[in-house]
Amino acid sequence: MRVLLIIPAFNEAANLPEVLRGIAEHAPGCDVCVVDDASTDGTSSVALASGVEVLRGCVNLGIGGAVQTGYLWARHHGYDVAVQIDGDGQHDPRYLAAVIAPVLRGDADLVIGSRFAAPADASGFRSTALRRAGIRYLARFLRLRCGARVTDPTSGFRAAGRRAIELFATTYPSDYPEPESIAVAVRSGLRVSEVPVVMRPRQQGRSSIGALSTLYYLVKVSLALLLLPRRMSPPLSRTGGGAAS
Amino acid sequence: MSDPLLPAHLQWFATAVLVAMLAWVVQLIRTQRLGLRDSLLWLLSTGAALAVTVFPSVLRWIASRLSILVPANALFALAFVYVLVNLLAATIAISGHSARIRRLTQECTLLRAELAALRDRLDTRGERSR
Repeated sequence: MRVLLIIPAFNEAANLPEVLRGIAEHAPGCDVCVVDDASTDGTSSVALASGVEVLRGCVNLGIGGAVQTGYLWARHHGYDVAVQIDGDGQHDPRYLAAVIAPVLRGDADLVIGSRFAAPADASGFRSTALRRAGIRYLARFLRLRCGARVTDPTSGFRAAGRRAIELFATTYPSDYPEPESIAVAVRSGLRVSEVPVVMRPRQQGRSSIGALSTLYYLVKVSLALLLLPRRMSPPLSRTGGGAAS
Repeated sequence: MSDPLLPAHLQWFATAVLVAMLAWVVQLIRTQRLGLRDSLLWLLSTGAALAVTVFPSVLRWIASRLSILVPANALFALAFVYVLVNLLAATIAISGHSARIRRLTQECTLLRAELAALRDRLDTRGERSR
């Protein structure tokens, strides 16, 4: 089973070395692909120095476009599993095995690493109280809208099987894509499940989502979830055949 | 309540047009011909216009502030602003795209040059091994 780790990075030159070291230590069998979203701080050179695959974009696309680039690479090179891991150090590579396991077993097409799934571990970094309230709201909304039972819909720590790779390589939302991509997956007939993980606070630098942006985030994601396309066909059948055109 | 200076049928007509507009934008988003990010201003401004049309007291207030005698004129003035604002937003978006297209074209040019250089290297190596 070939596994690709997709690391979207925008100006993470300071955090990347540590992230890549952790991955080399805890997941040596996985291929790594850093997607440099037109950073201006030499993120690419840092990544190249570590010897991993680097996809350097010339135009900033945002997290949605950057991650989708990773999925395009995963599809092109026939990977069985693609795992998204943030380049800022919040996602602990020790949980990689746990996140990948359901996909390898064939139990799920998309597995979300959740900070709030049982057994809940409150020792990890779980963001601010305001954000947690927002996340609870989104989790409820998501369940109402498409039936997905996900306690951490904003988590970017997720593993995708072949069907999810095929889907996301073709359609991936652009702004604040994490919750919307779950809805798209569920409505395309994919099986989504969760595993508990513990996250760390961002090591260096500032998050791209500030205080007021949280409200904008909630409004925008709610709208996006309300206005999902009516019907979506599954990208690949369960047995792996191609999508009927 | 029908204001003689803002006839009820004008209110109804404006409401119908705006609701149709809103429905059209929503449909475009759902069929993915219009991206949500680009449509936010359309949704917001159409919603605001709808609110003003359905609650004419707001319109009367705006009309009095701008010293417009007939509130119906204020409605048309606002319609004009609505079009201007959305047009300007679209123009700004176009400028952003132009900058990105320029960057992409340059990238293609540089990649093509790199490819040619690589091809040359392969060719010369091929000749030597013969």
